[in-house]
Amino acid sequence: MTLSHLATEDVFVVERNDADFRAGQGMTKGLGIVFRKFRKALFGKPNSDRADTEGQFNVQYPEERLAMPEAYRNMPILLYDDATGHELCTSCFQCERICPPQVIHITQAKDPATGKPVPAAAKFVLEYDTCMSCGYCAEVCPFDAIKMDHDFELSTANHPELDVDYNRLLRPVSYYETIAPTMWSDVKEQAMKKLQNNIKRRPGDIGRDHGQKIKGGAPVAAAATPAAGAAPAAAAKPRGPVAAIGKNMPEDKTAKLLAIRAANAAKRGGGAADAAPVAQAAPVVEAVADAPAAVSAAPTGPVAAIGQNMSEDKRAKLEAIRAAKRAERGE
Amino acid sequence: MADALTQLGFASWLSVLIASIIKVTLILVGGSVGMMFLTWYERRSISYMQDRRGPNRVGPQGLLQPISEAIKTMTKEDATPRDADKIVHFLAPVVMLGATVLSFAVIPWGRMFPVDLNAAVLFVIATGGLHSIGMMMAGWGSNNKFALLGGMRGVAQLISYEIPQVMAIIPVVLMTGSMSLQKIVEAQNDFAGLGWYVFSPVGLLGFALFFTASLAEGERTPFDIPEADSEIIAGYMTEYSGMKFAVFYLSNYMSNLAVCFITATLYLGGGNGPGVDALGGIAGGLLSLIYFLLKSFALFFVMVLIRATVPRLRVDQLMSFAWKFLLPLVLVNILSASFWVALLRWDQQWPKLTEWFGAPSTADATNWGRLAIAIVLTLLINAGAVALIMRLTNRNVQKHLYTTDEELALGLS
Ligand code: SF4
Ligand code: SF4
Repeated sequence: MTLSHLATEDVFVVERNDADFRAGQGMTKGLGIVFRKFRKALFGKPNSDRADTEGQFNVQYPEERLAMPEAYRNMPILLYDDATGHELCTSCFQCERICPPQVIHITQAKDPATGKPVPAAAKFVLEYDTCMSCGYCAEVCPFDAIKMDHDFELSTANHPELDVDYNRLLRPVSYYETIAPTMWSDVKEQAMKKLQNNIKRRPGDIGRDHGQKIKGGAPVAAAATPAAGAAPAAAAKPRGPVAAIGKNMPEDKTAKLLAIRAANAAKRGGGAADAAPVAQAAPVVEAVADAPAAVSAAPTGPVAAIGQNMSEDKRAKLEAIRAAKRAERGE
Repeated sequence: MADALTQLGFASWLSVLIASIIKVTLILVGGSVGMMFLTWYERRSISYMQDRRGPNRVGPQGLLQPISEAIKTMTKEDATPRDADKIVHFLAPVVMLGATVLSFAVIPWGRMFPVDLNAAVLFVIATGGLHSIGMMMAGWGSNNKFALLGGMRGVAQLISYEIPQVMAIIPVVLMTGSMSLQKIVEAQNDFAGLGWYVFSPVGLLGFALFFTASLAEGERTPFDIPEADSEIIAGYMTEYSGMKFAVFYLSNYMSNLAVCFITATLYLGGGNGPGVDALGGIAGGLLSLIYFLLKSFALFFVMVLIRATVPRLRVDQLMSFAWKFLLPLVLVNILSASFWVALLRWDQQWPKLTEWFGAPSTADATNWGRLAIAIVLTLLINAGAVALIMRLTNRNVQKHLYTTDEELALGLS
């Protein structure tokens, strides 16, 4: 160990046994040192330099605070663009997958007209109580949408309050810029570019309909979309496996299928048509993420769903394709 | 006070009763308030020694911290172990606190003496000795091995340190010719209130020895072996919680306070100081109280300083320190105190001295010639003894620390 950063008077050498006569020098010297520390801490300047060994080290916390390092991380937050009010998150599920304690829960937003997934999250719930502040989510996010906040005064007596939803997770980009300016300027350009691309693919207010945003004129969540209210009703009719089918079907068949669906939806008419496809993103997600596994695990599910909307011959063809696939896999 | 009440028309037995009740209340309140202040004082000063600030939130500068802590301990659950000896377990803190409070009966506050006992010194020692009973009761009654170990260690420590402590007072008693604390304080009032015993060679050595032994009595670091947290949790207090624990805590700090008061009284002239006699009356009494508290808290600061500096001794080191270091020095100090008294007081034994330097005065030590001889003689004796014993201890330490090559070759040690 080197002591070179200490001034010579900071190094105390206590001679122990090389003197023949020892009248408690070690003890008196020690008392002297402690008294000097007492004097310096009481009357001296507060310690400002980490190499310094004396003076008051304490920061009087609620009144005084240390400046946080930029990379300090406490709890994740989600960013939105100040100008447009659009959230940066595209609901790509990277963070949900990497999170070690699995405390991120995302529901993908869907286009109410077509039922197709939209690069935005409908719901985003994070359990702050179990999050371990590892920052993996912020590391992995390809859209720089989730970032680690500096606010650590989150203690509460109300435990359920720690399941934080989208509205409480959102922070403007300008806020993140103030707490981590260089870290943001490193990624700013590409993040904004990706956001512009995503905004193009977001119909209506999707992607900016959460929270009370100050800028960008985003509407308040509940009024904008019936998604939240309709969700339980829609859950009864699983619409999910569209994507799974799409993967296994030729281009034209998919198009036909979608046309039929649209027609059916029109027949049912009204708000229900809007609401139904929006909800139930979760099964879709699973199918997208892990299509073969999902199919093999629950083959009846998709079949039933298909059956409702398809003519006899189409179903036969589909079954044939499926059988072939199964044969390929050797079942 | 009783006389004043009788003059006011109370029956004599009633005035004595009322006066006693007032005194007891004052002592108890003074003792506990002093103890509360002491906890705050210790924590603040040790914090600054460790480059911290200590409790500074409750009240101005954290002065009300002890009160909030008192409320906290009072509202805590008071658990008694299932297999404990319930009665002994309950009585132990009472005995401890009782012993401490008793000693406050004779401790003067400046020049105010609650009770002027003619054997006050003996009384203080005796009540101090009662502590070991409380400790042993707590250790035994808890039915816990750590508590028992702590209690045994406490008793062993108290017994060995009581001897140097008591014998360190003997010079003071010899020099004063009385065991009354009031007389001892009066005897230190020469030289405009600065004739404190600590300024004489005998008193200086006695002060150092008595204070060191008292640290062990009050279980202060480096002698906190009975409650060595790193070894036996909290020693005899392990099984105590809530109010009972608070009572132990109270009695510990009160006994520390008592030690400071007694040391200040015996060696630092109590409430004596320049200006006390000149002022006289109530103002003088207040000044003496201020002097006295200043001295006591300065002593307590030294205790805190030692606690912040010195690590805990091992049990064997503790014992050898008491028996091989303190005890011989204390004996030598009694010897030189005898010389001191002989030179300054007993003129019939030294007729030649009376011829040369005039008759000695018993009231004050202003006989310069005799004083000079006494100082030189006792200084020589004491310094010689200290040097000799330090040298011997040093040899022993060296011998135990190192094994020489020859010893290794011979297969010794
Ligand atoms: S910081 Fe870690 S634990 Fe917390 S949400 Fe992100 S990935 Fe999960
Ligand atoms: S926060 Fe980032 S990683 Fe997580 S879903 Fe949104 S865009 Fe993907």
